[in-house]
Amino acid sequence: MRLEKCWFCSSTVYPGHGIQFVRNDAKIFRFCRSKCHKNFKMKRNPRKVKWTKAYRRLHGKDMTHDSTFEFERKRNRPERYDRNLAENTLKAIKKIDKIRSDRASDHIKNRLKTGKVQRQKEARKQLEQGIHLVKAPHALAQDSSLCLPKIKVNVSQAQTEENQPMEE
Amino acid sequence: MVQNNFKKITVVPNGKDFIDVILSRTQRQTPTVVHKGYAISRLRQFYMRKVKYTQQNFHEKLSTIIDEFPCLDDIQSILWSLISKIAKDYVKLLKYGDLLCRCKSLKVAALGRMCTVIKRIGPSLAYLEQIRQHMARLPSIDPNTRTMLICGYPNVGKSSFMNKITRADVDVQPYAFTTKSLFVGHTDYKYLRYQVIDTPGILDRPFEDRNIIEMCSITVLAHLRAAVLFFLDISGSCGYSISQQAALFHSIKSLFMNKPLIIVCNKTDLQPLDGISEADRKLVMEMKGEAMKTVIGVLLIMSTLTEDGVIAVKNAACERLLNQRVELKMKSKKINDCLNRFCVALPKPRDQKERPACIPQAVLETKAKQAAEKEKRKTEKDLEDENGGAGVYSASLRKNYILSNDEWKEDIMPEILDGHNVYDFIDPDILLRLEELEHEEDLSPEEQEALAEIRKKKSLLIQQHRMKKSTAESRPVVPRKFDTDRKFTTERMGRQLSSLGLDPSLAINRARSKSRGRKRERSVDRRDGDDGDAMDIDDNQASKKLRLRSTSRSRSRSRPPSEVVPGEGLKDSAQKVKTIKLAKKSVLKRNKNARRGEADRVIPTLKPKHLFSGKRSIGKTQRQ
Repeated sequence: MRLEKCWFCSSTVYPGHGIQFVRNDAKIFRFCRSKCHKNFKMKRNPRKVKWTKAYRRLHGKDMTHDSTFEFERKRNRPERYDRNLAENTLKAIKKIDKIRSDRASDHIKNRLKTGKVQRQKEARKQLEQGIHLVKAPHALAQDSSLCLPKIKVNVSQAQTEENQPMEE
Repeated sequence: MVQNNFKKITVVPNGKDFIDVILSRTQRQTPTVVHKGYAISRLRQFYMRKVKYTQQNFHEKLSTIIDEFPCLDDIQSILWSLISKIAKDYVKLLKYGDLLCRCKSLKVAALGRMCTVIKRIGPSLAYLEQIRQHMARLPSIDPNTRTMLICGYPNVGKSSFMNKITRADVDVQPYAFTTKSLFVGHTDYKYLRYQVIDTPGILDRPFEDRNIIEMCSITVLAHLRAAVLFFLDISGSCGYSISQQAALFHSIKSLFMNKPLIIVCNKTDLQPLDGISEADRKLVMEMKGEAMKTVIGVLLIMSTLTEDGVIAVKNAACERLLNQRVELKMKSKKINDCLNRFCVALPKPRDQKERPACIPQAVLETKAKQAAEKEKRKTEKDLEDENGGAGVYSASLRKNYILSNDEWKEDIMPEILDGHNVYDFIDPDILLRLEELEHEEDLSPEEQEALAEIRKKKSLLIQQHRMKKSTAESRPVVPRKFDTDRKFTTERMGRQLSSLGLDPSLAINRARSKSRGRKRERSVDRRDGDDGDAMDIDDNQASKKLRLRSTSRSRSRSRPPSEVVPGEGLKDSAQKVKTIKLAKKSVLKRNKNARRGEADRVIPTLKPKHLFSGKRSIGKTQRQ
């Protein structure tokens, strides 16, 4: 029993799911669900379809080269069973997984950082330049802090008297 | 004449078809076109040919039919002569035919007469056809091969016996005369084929009263040279008592002459032989006696239902028949010719010594061992049978695994973990690689603490060094014994070593044992300055003389840079700066030489050893 990767979107195909297509040249295409299968039949290139892993890796959205990927490699020769080795492997898988996911999220954070900085810069600029839209320059000269003036509304007495019976 | 190939007789056509076939053949195979203008001889020839051809064909066909039928010799010649006579006559007439139409009419007449002859024998042909069909359905019995005949009353179990020993599938029903004709089956014994013939049942009646079906069996009994199995129903469930069956036996025993006879008591599951009544038993013994009198006869019991004794009966019958045939062959003249041709050669023994086959000891041993092993070794199949058979027990495939530790044999290893295939990660040095990986990663809290400490200490060292460097020009180089800052004490060493995690006692003892003792002098209790010693907060109680000396020769206190204010007899700040500079210049020199002031002309060592020892390159070393 093996977990395979979907050819189109690169997600894992669990047993009992999906479809396998074998071409005449004996190349096997595995799909995780009919969405990927139908896209394949439409002859779409996964590298151009935004939501696939292939696209994301190609366009640098996700981490591509990392030493954690080298741990997982398909081995064709079976190894003799060794309990200690099995134990260590199971523990190691968890750690490697955590490290890999941390690195991946870091990658994404880094990628998004420039955007954040840019947005901050833009924000500051706007604050500087557009403050006249919400606070008059005269008021700004008087009170140079950026707290916005509060709107004061005078409420007449007659209105309050009318409201009283309603509140009761 | 082939007797066995009744099935291979060609179909006998009926009269009309026969004529049609012959005439059409004549029309096809002989030339058809002829004209008036041809030469007369050609015309004659043409028609003569047709007549002759027709006659020949008739002759051929009839002779094949007659040949294939077993016994119609005389008919053949009659027919043949009839047709050939016709043909001859007309041919003669045709020789004198002068016109086409006359020749043609002669031919027509000839053919017509031949056809009438055939039409007249049409009914006989039909009858022959029927016979042929009937004969084709007969079972092919080879009269010369080894044959076994089964006979007896109806319903005694002859057909079921037949079904048991051969592959024939004869109808077995409770009513009498289920078997209406002969059935042939084949069975093997000692690599020889035996025919087994099943007959319909025979009733005990006078010969003339027997019906056709019974006559079948009687005929076959009479004519075939075979072993006879007379079936007797002990239990009487066939509907006839033993006495009736015995009577039958006696009436047809004349037919059993010179044939190996076996009396078979069937249906012993319903009634064992010992359980029958006294009278019956006597009858049976009589029959047995009769049987003994003939060629080797015998009485056997069996039951076709339980298959008990069936094989024994068959074997006995086959054996007896074989022996009889062999004996006969031996007695006949032909065998002598054969006997002359083969003889078994045995080497003549030259002395009394016995020479058995030579088998090496090792082979005997291995053979014995193998036998023992075969018995002793418990196979997986035995294990399976013990534990409930094929559906219940499933063999443990893991028990012969070769692992470094046998406790691991029943371990179940997971194949999938968290969306990964575990087998893809297995690596003998996975732990090493994992360590390396973790090194690449961020440090743990202890590591971070240690790192912080290291950095702190390093920055302090750097600060110190910088300070030292900055004052290096104006600082005197003083030997260690004059250290004012009290940096080189054993307590300090001990503290530092213990902070690093080592036990300093050994080192301290050694240092103290090696240090040179100093004369104690009156010392000035003077605390260290803070400026030069930011690191060492603790109090040092070193030797007082050292301190006195070292403090006097340590570098002077550095003053914080202050604003240069003009005044004090100088015209402006530039001039003051210049004077300060000049003052500092001289002070610097004196400080560098560790002099307390202008008047300090102390020479610490009057005769430094390095200047007063050694040989001279030129001159004498007497005075220095």
